[in-house]
Amino acid sequence: MDQLFDVIGGICLIAGALFALLAGIGVHKFEDPYSRMHAAAKSPTLGLILVAIGAGFTIRTFSAIATVFLVVVLQLLTSPVGTHLAGRAVHLRVDVDQDGPDELARDEADQA
Amino acid sequence: MNTAALVITALAAVLFVARVLRGPALADRVISVDGFVSTIVVGVTIASARPDSGIVESTVLVVALGGFVGTAVLARFIERRGS
Repeated sequence: MDQLFDVIGGICLIAGALFALLAGIGVHKFEDPYSRMHAAAKSPTLGLILVAIGAGFTIRTFSAIATVFLVVVLQLLTSPVGTHLAGRAVHLRVDVDQDGPDELARDEADQA
Repeated sequence: MNTAALVITALAAVLFVARVLRGPALADRVISVDGFVSTIVVGVTIASARPDSGIVESTVLVVALGGFVGTAVLARFIERRGS
């Protein structure tokens, strides 16, 4: 039973690491900063969920599983907020080529 | 298996650092730093699953919180200062 858990945990760890690698590749493959943001924000979060499941299967103590669960919840809450803040700041202050209309400027003009 | 996962994560971190160095826009650098911190969180979680590493899971909590604060401060800095 212990060996089975170790194997499941190892597979989850490697799968999560592959998602992080996928994010690294995506940051190089996509054309413009907004697409790159999508690659850099989402896949490491999914990778972290898989890695946390893997770590839980490998360590198998209550305190470790509770802490790792807390990390996943924290990352799910903070990662979108942080990326949104960075993307908003860059959009407002730096000239970035964009296809399509500037929806943030349109929304803020509607509110004013 | 644990070592293989660590090597893959290190490769991902190298790719993010390469994007930070290459740019070309400030946007790419900021976004890549954010992704790099997420990759570091993944790496520390994998390291904490090693029985011989001596890294406690609470370390991951600290790294994740520090990464979020760092990104928020960076965003605030750009919004104030401009490009």
